[in-house]
Amino acid sequence: MNTLDFSIVTQSWPYLWSGLLFSLALTAAAFVIGMVLGTCLALVQHFEIPVFAQIIRGYVAVIRSIPLILVLFWFFFLVPIVLGHLSGNGRPIPIGATYTAFITFGLFEAAYYSEIIRVGLRAVNKGQFEACQALALSTYDTYRHIVLPQVLRVASPIILSQTIILFQDTSLVYVLSLTDLLGAASKLAQLNGRLVEMYLVVAVAYLAISSAASQCVAVLRKRYALATSR
Amino acid sequence: MHRETSSNAAQPGPIVVVESLVKRFGAFTALNDVNLRVGIGEKIVLCGPSGSGKSTLIRCINHIEKHDGGRIIVDGVELSNRLADINSVRSETGMVFQSFNLFPHLTVAENCMLAPMKVRGISQAEARDRALGLLRKVRIQDQADKYPAQLSGGQQQRVAIARALCMQPKIMLFDEPTSALDPEMVKEVLDTMVELARDGMTMVCVTHEMGFAREVADRVVFMDRGSIVEEADPETFFRAPRTERAKGFLNQIIH
Repeated sequence: MNTLDFSIVTQSWPYLWSGLLFSLALTAAAFVIGMVLGTCLALVQHFEIPVFAQIIRGYVAVIRSIPLILVLFWFFFLVPIVLGHLSGNGRPIPIGATYTAFITFGLFEAAYYSEIIRVGLRAVNKGQFEACQALALSTYDTYRHIVLPQVLRVASPIILSQTIILFQDTSLVYVLSLTDLLGAASKLAQLNGRLVEMYLVVAVAYLAISSAASQCVAVLRKRYALATSR
Repeated sequence: MHRETSSNAAQPGPIVVVESLVKRFGAFTALNDVNLRVGIGEKIVLCGPSGSGKSTLIRCINHIEKHDGGRIIVDGVELSNRLADINSVRSETGMVFQSFNLFPHLTVAENCMLAPMKVRGISQAEARDRALGLLRKVRIQDQADKYPAQLSGGQQQRVAIARALCMQPKIMLFDEPTSALDPEMVKEVLDTMVELARDGMTMVCVTHEMGFAREVADRVVFMDRGSIVEEADPETFFRAPRTERAKGFLNQIIH
């Protein structure tokens, strides 16, 4: 244990790789579900649709004040029971750890993305809406072609920052006995006692991916600053 | 309220009729019993001190502000709460804003193409042809594929004029179109507006550009505190304003 030996890392590469792929797949799925659902949640609040807006406000407040790990547990144990009740026979219907992870992360991220988009919607200049009105554009066309594209552009650095956090949070799936990058590394580390090497390599992998994404944030920020300067 | 003036525009009937218009913002009455008729092809300059209601008046004409009393009839359609009426009036009414309000994420050509495609339902190719034609008219066809932020203020405002014209409106409303511009860019925008006037467009312009008013306007309408105080042809209005308020206003803007 006195000297570092990275040969173990190269030997177990395929296993680490599959862990990394799971992390990336979960991030991508949660991003897509979270963005689509989050946009819808933000729009319902933005248009103040009665009852639904209040329900969504409550949902977002609850999700954002609870640790993700707790939400994961909830969904893992509660959703099968709810599904069982819905199906009528009252017996829990297990949905499996993988589905639980994808659904939970998607729903969880939707709450965060919806807040980002809701704030972005409020930041769109009043003059943009007036220009759309003056051109007789429908509400749908106004949001689809003018408002939402601008919101996504302005919010893209924050959305990407949130997605980097999401990527790091995927390591929490160990509580569902799923194997992501960190999970794969810690299993290997315990098997062969090479904890330092394994955790170093994993740290470097997270660092590389997250800082690459941060670079994208910086580029987006710069590009957006250029596009709005007069 | 109506004083027939020596307007030389042909008037087979007014295209805009505003009757007893009232607009309130909370307890503040922005427009109080305003009456205005605009004939086809007529050019009207609205002027008056800030807060006099001139911008509010033209914003009521295309229902960007909802009026609280009276009637507005544009090209035979009375503005009600019916969305169909509102959209019908808006699609015949072009508007140019003080702050341009171009869409920053779309190119100049796309700014001009969106509404004709979505509202008029014309094809992309036709919309682009129309956009390029009108951009040529306002002399910025070579900027068609740039983004608004890459253009000067004067160029942006000319794009905004072209964007409104792409809907082939029957009336153009201008809300202080040169107030946000650097002085050296005012002329290029006014020249474009003069050209539009010569083509016979019906125009209602809120502006303090008195040179433009003299050159183009059939009628100058002076507003103060939410009411129309004086209406006259520009020569009469500038040389011999009848009311003290108009005299005071003219003294202020000429110095």
